[in-house]
Amino acid sequence: MEGKVIVITSGKGGVGKTTATSSIGAALALEGKRVAIVDMDIGLRNLDVVMGLENRIVFNIVDVVQGKCKISQAAIRDRRIPNLFLIPASQSDNKDVLTTSSVERVANQLRKEFDYVIMDSPAGIEKGFENSIVGANEALVICTPDVSAVRDADRVIGILYSRSLTPKLIVNRIEPARVERGEMLSHEDVLEVLSIELAGLVPLDERVLISSNTGTPLVLQNDSKAGQAFKRIARRLNGEADLPIEVPNHRSSMWRKISKTFGFKK
Amino acid sequence: MLSRLLRKFTGQKASKDTAKKRLQFSLIYDKLEVNDTTLTDLQKDIVAVISKYFEIDKDSLELKVKRDDEVSALVFNTPILHVKRKSA
Repeated sequence: MEGKVIVITSGKGGVGKTTATSSIGAALALEGKRVAIVDMDIGLRNLDVVMGLENRIVFNIVDVVQGKCKISQAAIRDRRIPNLFLIPASQSDNKDVLTTSSVERVANQLRKEFDYVIMDSPAGIEKGFENSIVGANEALVICTPDVSAVRDADRVIGILYSRSLTPKLIVNRIEPARVERGEMLSHEDVLEVLSIELAGLVPLDERVLISSNTGTPLVLQNDSKAGQAFKRIARRLNGEADLPIEVPNHRSSMWRKISKTFGFKK
Repeated sequence: MLSRLLRKFTGQKASKDTAKKRLQFSLIYDKLEVNDTTLTDLQKDIVAVISKYFEIDKDSLELKVKRDDEVSALVFNTPILHVKRKSA
């Protein structure tokens, strides 16, 4: 059976695409699937260093697309998580070296060798973005709860629809205390504005920076709230569609129960 | 919760409500934005169709998207020089 190509994109940069891609990819591999993560940000590669694999790069995705090496030569195997592979971006080329048709061909090849191929799209809606969505079967759009990220997400969602992809949304870096105070858009607000199906909600988590500092997978840390949220997103992608979406909450569950009983919470 | 109560009493609006409103408006406007090539192409097509029936002054016609708070309209304005009679 052929695998799935999933593109993770956002329009705006700096909303957590790379973290989401590496975490969801790692989580899918932990579920026992064979996963290839592809860094499509040609010229500005980052997934390798976030995943802690920067010292092992020999070939990259541009080499694969241009036929200079085989997929198996470019795919770096993660030694901590079995079945997880990274195909890094090239750092020296620019985004125009790849054509959409050649990327599509490689995406189809990758689909035959892996259960999941996760494409990490560059920010923006130019050529690099087009290349990362061309071979995709599914799309995840990620945004943070602020006006610029939501607006850019809307633009990207529109483009994805025009390519017959029905994206789902991940709202990242939710700060429950600020949502409660009315200082931050809630995920309901974001969903209402974008009218899109939700893939998952991820709270702001200090552990994200720490795990990227050391290049260790977030999903291996059981005390990382973001890591656990990404794991649940991966499980839902991987067939557990009924797994409920947890809304990040800042209160202890005890207080939550009490306030619910007394009707403090709406 | 407390801040919600406070807002209720003071009548102050949460900044996220402002964010949401502004977003909803800007997304609508973003979608109504038409680029120049589309407008020029459209104008050519409209002129071609109208020219079948009317002689129009091609130099003083005007095509624009007019927006107001409620609706957005495409306005095409052209002086008619005379009606072309179909030769039976």
